[in-house]
Amino acid sequence: MNINATLISQALIFAVFVYICYKYIWPPILSTMEERENKMAAGLEAAKQADDSLEEAKLTYEKELKEAKEEAANIVEKANNRSSQILNDAKVKAEAEAEKIIESGSKKLENEANKTREELKQQLSSIVVETASKIIDEEIDEKKHENIIKKAAEEI
Amino acid sequence: MAKELTSKSYIDHHLTNLTCGKTESVGWTCDHNYYDEMGFMAFHVDSITISILLGVAFVALFKLIKLNPADQKPTRMQNFVEMCVEFVNENIKSIFGSTDNKLIGPLALTVLIWVFFMNLMDLIPVDFLPELTKQVSYASGIVDDPNDAYFKFVPTTDPNITLGMALGVFILTIFYSIKIKGFGGFIAELTLHPFGKFAIPFNFALEIMQLLAKPLSLGLRLFGNLYAGEMIFILIALLMFFQSAVFGVLGLGLHLLWALFHILVVSLQAFIFMVLTILYLSMAHETGDH
Repeated sequence: MNINATLISQALIFAVFVYICYKYIWPPILSTMEERENKMAAGLEAAKQADDSLEEAKLTYEKELKEAKEEAANIVEKANNRSSQILNDAKVKAEAEAEKIIESGSKKLENEANKTREELKQQLSSIVVETASKIIDEEIDEKKHENIIKKAAEEI
Repeated sequence: MAKELTSKSYIDHHLTNLTCGKTESVGWTCDHNYYDEMGFMAFHVDSITISILLGVAFVALFKLIKLNPADQKPTRMQNFVEMCVEFVNENIKSIFGSTDNKLIGPLALTVLIWVFFMNLMDLIPVDFLPELTKQVSYASGIVDDPNDAYFKFVPTTDPNITLGMALGVFILTIFYSIKIKGFGGFIAELTLHPFGKFAIPFNFALEIMQLLAKPLSLGLRLFGNLYAGEMIFILIALLMFFQSAVFGVLGLGLHLLWALFHILVVSLQAFIFMVLTILYLSMAHETGDH
């Protein structure tokens, strides 16, 4: 257990191993670690940014959704208004049309009735004349008694 | 012929290194009988071999793992290795503040892992490797008596190993002191504190002691802790001399307890060695007054 040349040898061996570590072991490990550290920092930064933009997108999305809903409600309301208006218009139009039809029908009917009445009047006058001439057995001048016949026909 | 196995010879055997050295009488030899003749020109082959093997293990562990590039999931071993590097870096940061010294990181990492591995050898049961080398070298005819085959397999229980590493740190300390403060600054630091220029010899005596005490305490602290731990393992193993089942079980339990506790010592001492290495180097970088 004396101190001897072992001490010097060990100091040299020590130096050799420290040199090997200094030259070949330490740098690659450290550079890998540093590189990863940088990458992770960048990744974290990117994640934070993504988070922020997600938040922003969420806000935009909510805003736009709200707007769209409002618009849709507007459109529905407008459509409702418009449809009721159209309905109203159609109703009014139809009523007018119906009235018109009824009016023209009743007019036609009246005309027809008048015409018939006129015809009947004429026929009746000739029947009356014929009947009367038969009764009095005497020719009556139609022209002379036109007034009387007309009066009679009007009284019918 | 085999010597009689006594508790003294058992302990002695465990505390003796496999030593090769140069002698006057027979030249280069690994025979322990010539140990005293070797003097300084002697090498503890076991300590050196194991420490080199463990150093290679450290390099292999940290170099051969697959490092996935930064945009991929790191492998498991990569996580472990990066954890070690991170740990070392954090310690450097807390002691140094910020530094552009490129050597301190690799130095501290080497110290931490290598010393930890060397300390870890202490947890291999005390008789495994010595018995193995005994039988192998006896069977292969290297030694005539198996008890002449020594093998001490915990490098950090050898003061040469710990002080050798401390010497390396010491040289670096002086190198950086001179590099940062200049030679004049280094000398001034040694001579002008703490009592100013009228007490230069006294200052120098104080400061040189302080300077030399650092590597000495650094190496001896590690050695002392591990040597003591190893010693206790050996002493617990001595219970087998009682040849009784009760003591055998007792020894087993004590071994387990001490090994569990020793895990703490093993890692703590590696950590302390690293922290002190960083600390001494950071002191070498300090330029202000004490």
